[in-house]
Amino acid sequence: MNAAPARPLAFAARIRTAWTQQSRQERLVYKLLLPVFGTVFVLATIPFVLAVVQAVTSDRGEFIGFENFGRALGNPLLYEAIKQTGLYAAIALPIEILGGLGIALLVHRTVSSNVVRAAIYIAAMIPIVIPQIAVGVVFRLVYAADSGILNVLLGQTGPNQPLWLSSPPLAMIATASVDIWQWTPFVYLVMFAGLQTVPSESVEAAQVDGATAWMQFRHIELPYLRPLLLLVLFFRIADVIRVFDHVYVLTGGGPGNTTQFLSLYIYRIGFKFSDLGQASALAVVVMVAMILFYTVVSRYLPADRG
Amino acid sequence: MIHRSRRLTKVATSALLALVGFIFAFPLFYLVATSLKTKADLFAPVPSLFPPAPTIDSYTSVLFTRGFGGLLFNSIVVGLSATALSICVAFAICYPITRLPASPRLRAFVLNWALSLRFLPPVAVVIPYFAIVRTIGLYNQLPALILVYTIFNLPLAIWMLRGFLDEIPREIEEAALVDGASRWHAFRTILLPLSRPGILAVAIIVFAFDWAEFLFAFILTATPQAMTFPVGVQGLVTQFAIIWNDMAAGGVIAILIPLSLMIIARRHVMSGLTFGVIRDK
Repeated sequence: MNAAPARPLAFAARIRTAWTQQSRQERLVYKLLLPVFGTVFVLATIPFVLAVVQAVTSDRGEFIGFENFGRALGNPLLYEAIKQTGLYAAIALPIEILGGLGIALLVHRTVSSNVVRAAIYIAAMIPIVIPQIAVGVVFRLVYAADSGILNVLLGQTGPNQPLWLSSPPLAMIATASVDIWQWTPFVYLVMFAGLQTVPSESVEAAQVDGATAWMQFRHIELPYLRPLLLLVLFFRIADVIRVFDHVYVLTGGGPGNTTQFLSLYIYRIGFKFSDLGQASALAVVVMVAMILFYTVVSRYLPADRG
Repeated sequence: MIHRSRRLTKVATSALLALVGFIFAFPLFYLVATSLKTKADLFAPVPSLFPPAPTIDSYTSVLFTRGFGGLLFNSIVVGLSATALSICVAFAICYPITRLPASPRLRAFVLNWALSLRFLPPVAVVIPYFAIVRTIGLYNQLPALILVYTIFNLPLAIWMLRGFLDEIPREIEEAALVDGASRWHAFRTILLPLSRPGILAVAIIVFAFDWAEFLFAFILTATPQAMTFPVGVQGLVTQFAIIWNDMAAGGVIAILIPLSLMIIARRHVMSGLTFGVIRDK
């Protein structure tokens, strides 16, 4: 029997009644939360509002409608950037997720010493906590032509050496491999932590019944890992959209547009071509897309929702 | 038979793990090795794996000759200020939603809003911030970075802190309130001391994130007056003729601080990276 408020006055009165009916403590929640959360909410929301304003006005502040959006979405380089970002994700994410999961299963089943497990835990944390810029430095030393250690180890230093950072398919593989190097350990850590939550009784029961290693994984462990796999996938997709630092110092987006991923593309439009109108339009499009993405995935996140 | 094949599997998996470990460790080893080389070693026709005459010249060159000591100082100032601010704001937001009878919907709204910020790519956010910062005259100033870092590491701080606060039973505070203590007094004398380890863990993780940030600092600063260390390191990698040992030394310095912090707070790193979904073991 939820009748809609007939008159605004009655509605206001109802809110007032609701307010007085709340306990003092409940009101304290709002009194404490509103000033700080309100300020932060505004500060974090301003960029979005301002990006919209910037996108629909010219440099002199005149309203120009959707011209910037038209230019942003009509630029074929945008679709090139999206395609290359997708390719990067298609190379890096499956290897990271399957590799991390595989190593986690391997360690879980064969390493029983707690000391070794703790050592692997610390070792796996190292690539994750390294600043992206430093990761770029590390792989510049690996992939550089002439002095890069990879070509030296491969015995390929002559004029026909593979140019890891400046020939098209190789630059994609090189930048994606850096992602794999840095984030496979993250997947490993999440999956390994997940495997520890599988009750050992069910595993033992399955083994007594003669389940193979694959059946044990498929029917007992995988159901426990599924929400974590989703979580990792969502975080990694969000991260691929952000990829910037290591690619910027390794290839700068080149050769050509091979490694000009979405973030690098927006940076280039905004700060290399100083076309902030078009860049703002792109920023709005990307923010809306990511908010939609978040709205969809948040329902599948295993986190405690409040 | 069974024993034999089991031992074989064990050897094979150990070998495989060692190989994976080697692939992951080798680039880092080579980074450190390069940072210890002399300028003359860099001109060897074939670069050596081990520095023939290890020296820390490249470190002094980076920190003093190139003046990166100043950038290091900026990074520390920005990191400490932004971390302190993030913690205070996160505490002010987490206190009502964890210690008071906030409605589950309000709690979910605040937490969801914070998590959604994590999904916004920095490059999209930095374009409007660039305009704001220039308009209010904070371009190339540390306060601009402090403000932006505070806001964008807030989701992490809120989610981690919420996890710690949820674990402290409300009854402890309520007992004090029944005895006639004010809420402020109960907060000061009971909650704050109990949450100190949690605050410390969050602070370490947030500082490490602030320290590693590159894009905002790259766009919102222009001179060494306000540049942070990662921006300086970027300059060492993208300059026309790379001085390899200096670049490597810059990389090592950039890595050392977050790495040592994370090892201290290792039990909380996973919770930080997964927004509290994976708790410490």
